[in-house]
Parts: sequence; structure tokens; C-alpha cells
Amino acid sequence: MAAQLVSKSERAYIQASLQATPPLRGDGRGLLDFRTVLLETGVAPLANGSAKLNIGKMPHEGGGGTEVLAATKLEVEDVESGDGVDGGRVVCSVSWCAIRSIQLEPIVQLTKDSSPSAYPHLSSNALDELQYDLTVILQQTIGHPSLHPQNLTIIPRKKSWLLNLDAVILADAGNAVDALFMAARAALWDTKVPRTRAVEYQAPEDSQTTRDSASAMDVDNREAIPTASGFDTREMARTAADFELPDYWDEGEVLHGRERWPVCITLNLLPPSHFLDATPPEEASVPLRMHLMYSFASPSTPKLQSMRLLGPGELNSAQIKSYISEGEKYARELFNALESKLREEDVRRNVKARDRFAQR
Amino acid sequence: MSSRVEILNDGGFRSDGRKQYELRDITIDLSQQGTADGSATITHGLTQVMVTVFGPREAKMRSQTLHDRAVLNVEINVAPFSTGERRKRSRADRRILELAAAIESTFEPVVQTSLYPRSQIDIYVQVLQQDGGLLQACINATTLALITAGVPLLDFVCAVSGGVHSTEPLLDLTTLEENDLPNLTVAVMPRTRKVTLVTMETRLHVDRFRDIFELACAAGQTIHKEMKRAVKDRTVALVGAMDAGAKHPLADPDAMMEDR
Repeated sequence: MAAQLVSKSERAYIQASLQATPPLRGDGRGLLDFRTVLLETGVAPLANGSAKLNIGKMPHEGGGGTEVLAATKLEVEDVESGDGVDGGRVVCSVSWCAIRSIQLEPIVQLTKDSSPSAYPHLSSNALDELQYDLTVILQQTIGHPSLHPQNLTIIPRKKSWLLNLDAVILADAGNAVDALFMAARAALWDTKVPRTRAVEYQAPEDSQTTRDSASAMDVDNREAIPTASGFDTREMARTAADFELPDYWDEGEVLHGRERWPVCITLNLLPPSHFLDATPPEEASVPLRMHLMYSFASPSTPKLQSMRLLGPGELNSAQIKSYISEGEKYARELFNALESKLREEDVRRNVKARDRFAQR
Repeated sequence: MSSRVEILNDGGFRSDGRKQYELRDITIDLSQQGTADGSATITHGLTQVMVTVFGPREAKMRSQTLHDRAVLNVEINVAPFSTGERRKRSRADRRILELAAAIESTFEPVVQTSLYPRSQIDIYVQVLQQDGGLLQACINATTLALITAGVPLLDFVCAVSGGVHSTEPLLDLTTLEENDLPNLTVAVMPRTRKVTLVTMETRLHVDRFRDIFELACAAGQTIHKEMKRAVKDRTVALVGAMDAGAKHPLADPDAMMEDR
């Protein structure tokens, strides 16, 4: 997203090589080749779900690459008195580890900054703006009602879960938005929502109409229906005021609708061609970039969740249509690869760990 | 329902199973991060901190530079999911600024800043997980990151946190212990045994201070051994990689690279 500074000749050089036959890229990749993507889930044990993703790490040449760490945390919110919404809500935020600040515009700003805590260079403002831009993209796509998971309610109309998705961009070597969405999807996939049980506390009644179990801590509210069966718990959910965790150590159930979370594919447009997974100089040399967020809940009908165009270039609607359909193909490949990796991670962390533990 | 957790039980064990003077597991990762000049990730038990160093490089604002030495700039970013309950701290949060100031003043006398006048050394600290001993982890990681960046230092700076439980000194505290006990953080330079930072925010009886202070200085030596080993392993790997391209491999390896 943040354009590295490239000179005009550098830009022309990169564009000319990309438009040559055959097209040439700095690291020898094809136009549609992605760099190696490394993914690990469960990296933040204190979070409800987490994932760390790296695109383009070269372990034998010193590392590097775009690295994003995403984690979800669940908080309880009060619907009546607090900010909670019935049904729960999802809030995303993106922040940068300040590694990229060297590549932002080094124009010296001639304002006096007397506060010692303020950053002495312009890049901090640009950093904040970038942070905000990425937060908005992530929030508007992930927080969309069509993707809202159903199991974020604790007690209807009283308490609900707030799902906080925090992403930290540790390093940016190009294609940060794709990495961000992949990491967010992985973290959401990994999220476990603790199971809760609604309880209501009632003082024991001396009245003859009460049931035998009236003195217990969890009591069904059965005053309204004196002849109701003792096993009828429907009333409880309607009048419950608080909740408890039946099993403290249980991590919980997975987030509902986790197959719906979208993946993003960024098409860097250099008419007549386009390419994927750009490095920072390539990102700066391209007049237009298109972010497409696809959701593949059912494999036959993909949904385009959102689309963004960035840059000073322009397109006509026929081109947009063709790019959208091409993007769908690439997104599908990305999605399949991510799915298989996530399932593999599930196996590694749960099944294999259980087996290893059983063998001890 | 749950009994109160004992800080130190009769058998001499703490709440996480360690003995009184036992330090937590240390993991050091010196692999490169992005385009940083130097980077290090250190893990003390469950506290994980990553530090990246840029510099010495030209300062963005000339007015902030000094004519005869380099300026150290420390920025800290605490991940919202790093603690048990999620807290999003703004960059200008007072506690974070204090932490940054402590790190800066610790390294001022150690980095040989007079070699780089009018330049800036940027230290970016990213806190990934917190379970007590945050300042200790930040300082250790910063030392390693400065070393991998090739910034000349007078010596390592090894930090350790300690506390006193009634009369018993404890080393390397977790969050549970930090909340309960008076605690301090000590940073030492192991070769000269000089102390570059002692900080304490709680109240401690002066009779108890001497014991824990001396203990912490000794613990600094232990941490120094670990750090030195990690740096040496990385250097050996780098030198090996450089030799791989040479036509004539070294007949007798450099004596200093051997394990003594």
C-alpha cells in the first residue's frame, strides 16, 4: 500500500520489463506466481485465535518478506447498558510495527514539534494514515452483516461477545493487503468461542407452588406455569440475567460461519497485462491496483464481498468485468491452498498433539 | 472455589513450578526481519518481545540531532492481544513512554554514539506476549538487536527482574508475582559488572534490597552466557555461509571460532 519512492527511470524500467515478451520480473517469477507463503496458527496463546503469516521469506538468504500477525480476542459486552449489539459485533484494527517507516516519503516537514513524545519525522503521520486505511478496508469487509457469525450471543438482548480482530504488520515487502486478509482469515478460523450457560439466581421461595429444586443455585423460572415439567428450560433463557462457563478449561466451539470468511487477491494492473504478488518497487511502478475479496462458502457460487481500486489510473467497465472474473480464478486457487493449510494446521495442533500426549 | 495461589510454597516451589532462584526458559531468535539492520526476538517463559534496529542512519529532522554523537530513538508498540485481557494502548500512553525512556537511558552510556555524529539509531520494540518481566525482556532483546545490527557497544547489557516474598528473594517474576510482590529490574554490563539500570516502582524494605540486588547482578551473568551463545551460533553460521563461496576452504579454522 505504501508506495516506495521510485524514480521515473526505475518505474519505466520495471514497466518495460513487465510488458516485454516474455514478461520479466526482478526475482524471475511469472506474472501470476506467488512467493512462498508460510502460515502458523495458534501463535498467541493468550488470544482466542491467532495466526502468523509470511509471504516471501527467504530463510537461506536472511529472512525478510511480508509478515503479518493476527489475533482475535473475545470480550463480554452488555447490550442494555454498554456498547453491545444483540447478536454480537466484530471490530478490526490494524497496526504497524514501525519497520516500514524508512520507506515512506522522507520529505522534511517544516512544522515545529515541541512535544518530546511526538515523532520527529513526517512518516509517523503517514504511518497513522496507512494504519487507518488498512483498518477501514479490513473492518468494512470482515464486519459486513453477511459474514456475521451466529454464535456471538451469550444471553439474548442482555450480553453478547465482542470479537476484536487485531492485526500487526511486522514487516512489509509488498502485497501487505493479501497477507492481512489471509492472516485475518486464519485467525478467525482458529478462533474458539467459549461455551456459556445462562443462569438465574433466585432466593428460595417458601410458597407451596414452588418445585422441589427451588433452593438450588440455578433455578428455572417457572412461576408462570405451575404445572410445567421440571425439564422444561425454555423459560430460563428468556429471563436469565447472567451466565457461567460450564467448563473453565474448555476452549470452546469454533466460530460459526468460518467457511465464509473472505480471501483477498490483489491484481496489479498494467494494461494490457496484470500481475500478482508485487514487491515494493513493482507496487510503486503500477498505476492501478485492484483488491478483490472473494468468499467461497459454497464452492460453486463464490461471492465478491468487496472490491477496492487504488491509484491514479483509470479503467472502463468492460475491463473491470474481465478483471473481476480473472480475479475469481486466482482467489479460488488461493482459497483452496489456504483451506488445505488450515486443515493441516488443525491436524498438527489437535490430533497430532493428542497422539503425542497419549504416547507419553 | 479456587484457593489462593501460593507465591512460594513450603517445598520451595513457585506458582509455575520453578525454584526460588530459577530463571524462566530463554529462547533467542536472531533471524532477519524485513529490511531492518538488526533484529532479535527473545522469549522469557511466556513473555515475548521483538526488537528491530535501524541505523545509524541520517536523522529525519536535523534539529533533533547532536553535533558530536548519535541520538537513540526508542519506540514501543504493545500488541493488544499480548495480555490476558485485551487493551489497546495508544502510542503516547504514559507507561509505554516511561518504558521507552528507561530503555533509552539504559543504552545511552553503552552504545558508542560518539562514533556517529549527527545520526540517529532507531530502536523499535514490539511486545508480542506479556507475562511479567517486560522491561527485562525489552532490554535483553535490544542488546541483541543492536549487536546483530553491528552497532558498536561497550558491552552486553543483561537485565533481570527480581522481587522479595516476605524475606525470600525471587528471580525472573511472572505477572502473578509482579502484581503481588515488591519488584525491581536490574541491568548489568557483565564484563565490568557495572550496573546501568536499577528501577523499582514498589516499596521494598532497605534491608531486603541488598540481597535481591546482588542476586540480580549474578543472574545477569547467567543471561549473558545465553546471549553470548546465541550471538556466537549466528556468527558461526554467517561465517560458514561466507566461506561456502570461497574457492579454497579454510584449512585450519580460526581458533576463536572453536568452542572453548
